[in-house]
This record gives sequence, C-alpha cells and structure tokens, in this order.
Amino acid sequence: MTLDAYRIAKEPYYRPSGGEIALFEAAHAHRLPVMLKGPTGCGKTRFVEHMAWRLGKPLVTVSCHEDMTASDLVGRFLLEPAGTVWADGPLTLAVRHGAICYLDEIVEARQDTTVVIHALTDDRRILPLEKKGELVRAHPDFHLVISYNPGYQSVLKDLKESTKQRFVALDFGWPDPAVEAEIVAAESGAAPALAARLVDIARRSRNLRGQGLEEGASTRMLIHAAKLMARGVPLGEACRIALILPMTDDPDLRDALAHVVAAAG
Amino acid sequence: MAEVGPFGGPWLAPWQRACARLADAGYGADVPEAFRRAGPAIAAAVGPEPAIDLAAHVSAVAIKAGPPAAALFAGAAVAAAQRIGDGPRFRRWASLVQRLAATAPESVVPVLARTDALLAGLDVSALDSWILAGLRAGGADPERRRAFFAGETPESGRLLAREMAETGFGDVERRMRAWFTALWGIRLPIREALPGRPDGARRRVGFAPGIVTVPATFPGFRGPRAEDLFRAALAHVGAHMTFGGPRFPVGKLKPLQIAAVSLIEDARVEHLAMRQLPGLARLWLPFHVAPASGALTAPGLLARLARALIDPEFEDIDGWVRKGRDLFFAARDRWDDPGISRAIGNLLGNDLGQMRVQFNPRTHVVEPPYRDDNTGLWDYGDDAPAETLETELLVDAIRLVQAEAEGGRTEADRDAGRAAPARDAAPQEALPVARLPEWDWQACRLRPDWVTVLEAAPARGRPRFVTEALDRHAGTAARIDALVRAARVGRAERLRRRAEGETLDLDAAIGAVADLRGGLAPDPRVYQASARRRRDLTVSLILDASQSTADRAPEGPGTVLDLECDAAALFGHAMAALGDPFEMFAFDSDGREAVRVYPVKRYGEPFGPAAAAALAGLAPGRSTRLGAALRHAGAGLARQRTHRRLVLLVTDGEPSDVDCPDPRYLAEDARHAVMELRRAGIDVFCLALGPRNADPLTRIFGPRGFVVLPRIAALPERLPALYFRLAR
Repeated sequence: MTLDAYRIAKEPYYRPSGGEIALFEAAHAHRLPVMLKGPTGCGKTRFVEHMAWRLGKPLVTVSCHEDMTASDLVGRFLLEPAGTVWADGPLTLAVRHGAICYLDEIVEARQDTTVVIHALTDDRRILPLEKKGELVRAHPDFHLVISYNPGYQSVLKDLKESTKQRFVALDFGWPDPAVEAEIVAAESGAAPALAARLVDIARRSRNLRGQGLEEGASTRMLIHAAKLMARGVPLGEACRIALILPMTDDPDLRDALAHVVAAAG
Repeated sequence: MAEVGPFGGPWLAPWQRACARLADAGYGADVPEAFRRAGPAIAAAVGPEPAIDLAAHVSAVAIKAGPPAAALFAGAAVAAAQRIGDGPRFRRWASLVQRLAATAPESVVPVLARTDALLAGLDVSALDSWILAGLRAGGADPERRRAFFAGETPESGRLLAREMAETGFGDVERRMRAWFTALWGIRLPIREALPGRPDGARRRVGFAPGIVTVPATFPGFRGPRAEDLFRAALAHVGAHMTFGGPRFPVGKLKPLQIAAVSLIEDARVEHLAMRQLPGLARLWLPFHVAPASGALTAPGLLARLARALIDPEFEDIDGWVRKGRDLFFAARDRWDDPGISRAIGNLLGNDLGQMRVQFNPRTHVVEPPYRDDNTGLWDYGDDAPAETLETELLVDAIRLVQAEAEGGRTEADRDAGRAAPARDAAPQEALPVARLPEWDWQACRLRPDWVTVLEAAPARGRPRFVTEALDRHAGTAARIDALVRAARVGRAERLRRRAEGETLDLDAAIGAVADLRGGLAPDPRVYQASARRRRDLTVSLILDASQSTADRAPEGPGTVLDLECDAAALFGHAMAALGDPFEMFAFDSDGREAVRVYPVKRYGEPFGPAAAAALAGLAPGRSTRLGAALRHAGAGLARQRTHRRLVLLVTDGEPSDVDCPDPRYLAEDARHAVMELRRAGIDVFCLALGPRNADPLTRIFGPRGFVVLPRIAALPERLPALYFRLAR
C-alpha cells in the first residue's frame, strides 16, 4: 500500500520567520522526533505541511482529543463477516509505509497514547502491536512530529518528562509584525496597509494574554478577518466576528477589544 | 383672613392644633417656631395634609435626636417638599428621617444639613438606600456613622455616586483595565485617587512610576459619556507612558510655563499615538469643546491651544493660540523628541506671563477633562507634591502587586523558630487581596465591594505538626490511608459492548458472528474499552478561627481550633495522597473592612512543612463573617478547571461580626453566598461542630448542605471520611 493520498501536491504557503526550515531539515535528516511549541493559530500545522511538501514525504496528521486511546493511533481488530480483521491506525500506517506522522496537540490524548510512541522515538524505531502480536519496524522515511501548546494546557495535562526529552523542539512565537502582515496579506489577498492594521490590533489583543484571554488573536483569525473584509465587511464588524466574539465571552473584554479595534481604524 | 393661604378652610383648625401640640411638648421655643415658619411653604409644595402630619414626625425626631435636630428637620422639610413636590413621597421622606433618628440619632443633623444637595440627585427611595448603606457601613459606631453621613469618608461619596447613578470608575474598572492593557501593553495598578489630594489632581487622571490614578467619578458625566471619558483618559496616560521621555526637571520654571510645557507634551504624545492608532482622534476630540473666543484667562487660552493642537477644524483668531499651533506643527518632524515640548512650552509660557493673564496654579484643573494632572511629567525634586503621591500610592501599589502575584508571600522572612503564635502582629502584615459584595436582606440587594478581604500569613508553628497529628490519631490515619488507596486506584472499569473500543469484546463478537451466520443483523457494539474513573474534583477547605474556637473541646485535651487543625492535617494528608487539587485557609473577621484569611495551603503548593507550620500557627480570635469567607473560597475555586468544585467549611458557630447588630443580616448573607456558589456550580458543605440547633444551618446551607457533629473530638476522623463520601 502506498500513501499517495497523503502526499501534498501543491506548495502550502509558508513564510519562514527564522531558521526553522533548515533546523527541521537537519532534524529530518536524522529522523529526530520534533516537537513544535507555540500558541494556537500561529502556523505550526502549516509549517509541517510545508515541510512534508518540501521533503516530498507523505504526511499523516492526527488531531488528538481527550477520548483518544492508544488503539485509535495504533489500530484495532474489526469484525467482518468472515471473522476479525486487523486495521492499522494512522500511526501504524505512517510507521509501516514511511510518512511524517504529525500528532497535533498530543497532550490532549490520554496518557497511554504517549507511551506507545516511546519505542518509536529512540534508536529502536519500532512499534509493537501487542494485540496483533506483531513488531513493526519503522520505514526509513518515518518521522514523528508532535505539537504542544504549553500556555494553553493546565498543569494536569503536561507531557511526561520521559516523553519530552525524546524530542528536539522548535518554538513558534508570533512572527514579527512585518512578517505577520506579509502572511496575512498573502493568505487573504488583503492590501499591505490593511494587513498591517489587523496585525497591530492582534498584537494589542495579545497584551491581554493571561489577563482574561488564554491567547490573543491568532494569525489565522487575522486571515479570516481580512477575507471577510475582501467581501466588503467593514473593519469593525470583521474584527468583531472573526476576532473578538470567538476569543471571549467576557463582556468587559469584548468592550475593551472593540474599542481597541475602533482606535486602530 | 383664615380663608387665604395654604391652611384655609377645613385645614386651619388641624394646623393650629399641630402647632399647639409642638409648642406644649416642652421642646423649647425653636422647634414649634421652625415648624410654624416651615408649614406654609411645605403646604404650598405638597399640600396641607402632609404639612400638618409632619408635626408628629418632628415630635418623634425631637424625642430621639433632640430639639435642635427637630428644628433643623422642620426647616429642611421645606427644601425637601420643594424638591419632592408630591405628598406621598414627601411622607416617605419624613418617615425616613424619623427612622434614622430612631436608629442613629447622631446622624440626623448631618443628613438634614445636606437635604437639598442629596435630594437634588436622589429620589426618596435612592436616599433610603443610601441611608441604609450608611447605617451598615457605620455599624454600631456612632462616630463612624456620623462621618459617613457628613460625607467625610471616601466610601460615603462613592456610594452616593452609585445611588446618583453617576458612573464611577469602580463600575467600569474591569473593562478599563482591559482596555488600558490591551491598548498599550502596560500592566500597572489603576487606583482611585485619594480623597485628600488637591482639586487639580483629584479630578483628573494622574500617573507616577508604577501606578495610574483615576478620579472616582467625573462629575457631570454619566453612562457611555463617562465610560468614554475614562477610556480617553487612560489612552492619554498610556500615550505619555509609551511616548514620553524622562520627567522634566522643574528647575526655575514658573507655574504658567509648567502648564504650557505640559500642554505641548500632551499634544506631542497624542499625535504620536494617533500615528499608530488613528481612531484615538475620535475618542479624544469630542472632549475639546473650548470656544474660539471669550475672556482672555490663562485656563481659557490653554484649553483653546489644547484644542487647536489636536483639532484640525478648529480656527482660533487669538495670536498666542495661533503662534502655539504654528510652532508645534513646524516641529512636526521632531515630535519624537520630548525636548520640543520644553522649548515651545517655555516660549509660550513666557508670552502668557507677559500678557498678564490670571492664573492660579493651586486651583487650576487641566482641560479637557481626559488630560492628566501633569504631575507625572515633572520632577519636583525632593519635597514636592508628586513625591507624596508616589509614596502614598506606591505602598498600595506594591501591596497590590504582591497580592496579585500568586504565591508571592514573604513568609520565609519570618522567624521560623518562633514558638508562640503571635496573632497580634498579624494585622500589620495583612494585605488587602479582594473586595467582595455582601447581601443586604433588608434592602434586598447585593452591595458591591462591601467587604475587604485581607490576607495575612499565619504565624509559623511547628513544621512537624502534620506528622505529629498523624501520630496522635494513628488509628484514624491508618483507616484514611486505606480509603485513599481504594479511591486512588480508581478501579479501571471494563466497559463492554461498545461501538468503539480498544479490543473486541469476545462475547459480543461471538454473538455478532453467530447473528451474521444466522442471517440476522448483528449488533455493531462488539468492542470493549477500559476507562479509569478519573478523579476530577477541587476542594477549598475553610477553617473557622474565630474567638469561639478558643473554647476547650468538651471531650478533648485541646481547644476546638486544635481539633480543627488536627482534622485539617489528616485531611490534607489524605488529599495530598489522592492528588486532588485543594486549598486550605482559616478566617476570622473584625468588621467588614477586615475579613482576614490565613492561607495554609494554596492550590498548586505542596502540603508540606510550610503548610504544617501554618496550620500549627493558627490562633483563635475575632468574629465569623461567613459569607465573605465562602465567597473568597468561591472566587478561588472559580478559577479551577475541574468538573466538580467543593467548598468544605468547618465552623463552630453562626455568622456574627462586630459591626452587625442584626443577627439575621450575616446569616442571610451567608445563605445568599451559598446560593451564589451553587449557581456557579460549586458545592458547599458545612461541618457544624458541637451540639446545636439545625434550623439556622438548614436556612443557610439547605437541608442536605451540612452535618452536625455533636461530639467535636470525632472531627479528625469525620472530616476526611466525609470528604470521601462527598467526593464519590
């Protein structure tokens, strides 16, 4: 079986803001597991897609959630009319056939899931399928990437030290204002001046991080707002529905942010 | 002759009788005389009948508060009648004064002396509510009540502003903080200006290193206009902080020059801010209302120049204003340099001096109202007003910052070896951490910011206290350990016949295959999963440390508080083993301005020697303001993310406090606090110590919200056991 469906045909737009591409390529050359850290909507997923395209590797992405168990990653027996049939999970798929496997927000998953990746992340590079009694040796192209948003997790949900130490980490902060404006303009087709103004609003909203907001407005949100404005929605309204309302339900914060938008425009 | 005037016809006889009754009652000559003089005007305003009936109220006030107060009452009634203008509401006002005389005789005169001013802004029910607030604020202390009603306390003004529906900073504080932080990325304490400051500073925003001050209200601005003004003022202060340079040395500058330099600096930072945030112009401009003509006074000219520098539409014919504008805009390319403010301002200040216009720096209040008082721009040297502002406020600011920084306690400084708990030292170290509302059952309203919670580090006792307590109650401790083990292992449950799961459920799979072979539609739920029951609970344990806990426990060797501490030690030990997040604090109160909490263990801290020492250091004292303690715990729990949140209270008494003579008041408040918490999804459970009547507890906590523990000695065992039951 090939993973053609998982290949990325067209270059995903990515605007580097540092040496992250070279660093990732270096890590990939040795298949060192990579951990991407940073706030939501700052471009972690896009970066992985871009790297998969650049390296010409298929990409298997798993968005982890609270109810996710090890079987959801590894695979399970299915019941067919003729009897039971084993079906590989996404991780097994990537391991067997050679793909970049991207586990998005890994800490969201239940603790046992993080343990199954341990044997894959050291030089053994194996995945034991206990239920099936099989030991899968990783394809040479297999490369594990996880994302991890430290600010957003509660203390209870943290990666185990033994897991953390298996990864090299790339830290994704918010890009410089000029770079971020370039990204917003490129993704939405907005004029540079407008993109810069949106980025200015977002940066001020990020001042409220930890003061009532979990995060400030993300680059992704700015792109949404810019796209709405391209359809003729005025700045205030676009920021309200793309930035403020999704971010917070607190009337005082909404009020403050709405006035920041008004001050910027 | 008696036919004319307000007391004509049938009213004449009753009026004369009322006058005669007052004259014969022995209150002296002033009271009947004042009444006789006031009567016709009152009758003209609200009708003869209420005017005549006032005599009975005057008489009652004379008895309770003395003849001078009664005479003043009669006089003030004229103003009241004219303000109020109708009979029924005038009667309500009169009985209100009579009630005040009965409960707080010393306060009648101060209230009546302000009748006109009060009724200018308040209707009778709002006045009623303000008076009730004053009685609560003053409690049983006549001097405090009098000071409140005379307007000598800051609180009196604040509550009055609230009743007058003026928008105070307190009403919009949260959104203004968020606005300031978001706009400028500056996180500083924003405090209301202290009452004793000069006018110019009290009525305007101000800033000093590390603090921003705002006026409590901007008189005359209400609702959205007031909000915009606070917003404009904070935007302006932030512009100073973002674009301003170091403070200007005052040197030998004259007051007019200082004012002119400040004005240019204001305009400079505003223009720089508007380059980044053009929308600020829409916020600031509406407050510039100076007309382009008028008397040539310094404040007038300064306001006109201020407008000319920011409002492009504004044309002023005055030569000085035009000169100022030309100089300022000629320096457009050098606006980044604060030095230009100094240079241009000096010139303009000189000119103004030579024009010999009137200027009084002491009474000068900067216009437009959103501008700051300018003290933050200047370095006055050592003995200057700005310094006092800083020292006064910095103390507060530091405290605030300390309180805001979680876990930022300085308990390590304290002498760990000190044996006897010295609670007398605690008050000085108590830092205000929160202001909480309180429910007034008589007024049927929640009074915001009514109670101040102070946090005090408990005296440090023996750090081995927990270990010792475990030894003392060895049998109980062993039983608790068993409970912990059972609870912690968390019984991984096998969930059979699931549509999704980790492995096939063998029985279900066989059944499904049999169905398939038999040509039946199989049940698709053929998987099994295992789920560990996750513990998802946060607890806040409140210990009552009021004076009554100093009593000996009937059966035990120590005091009630000793037993509470033992119980808390066992409880904490169990919780630490279970891994459930929890906090623990003791509380007492000394009036509503001093509800003290003594944190033993905070969320996220280990239950270790520090917590043990704090527990051992607790000492009984003062009263039990229960509602405040519950709300404090609730505020902490509200920030916790677990599914279930529980407040566990151990108390030996009913709510009481020194400033609450009404026994029902605090009980009703506690009941309200419990309901607030339950509405917020927080469970409240009370362990009541000692044999006692369950009725008041039922009223506060509900029939299933408490358990009475007649034998106090059983507490150390019952508290952890109870937790396991509640947590199940």
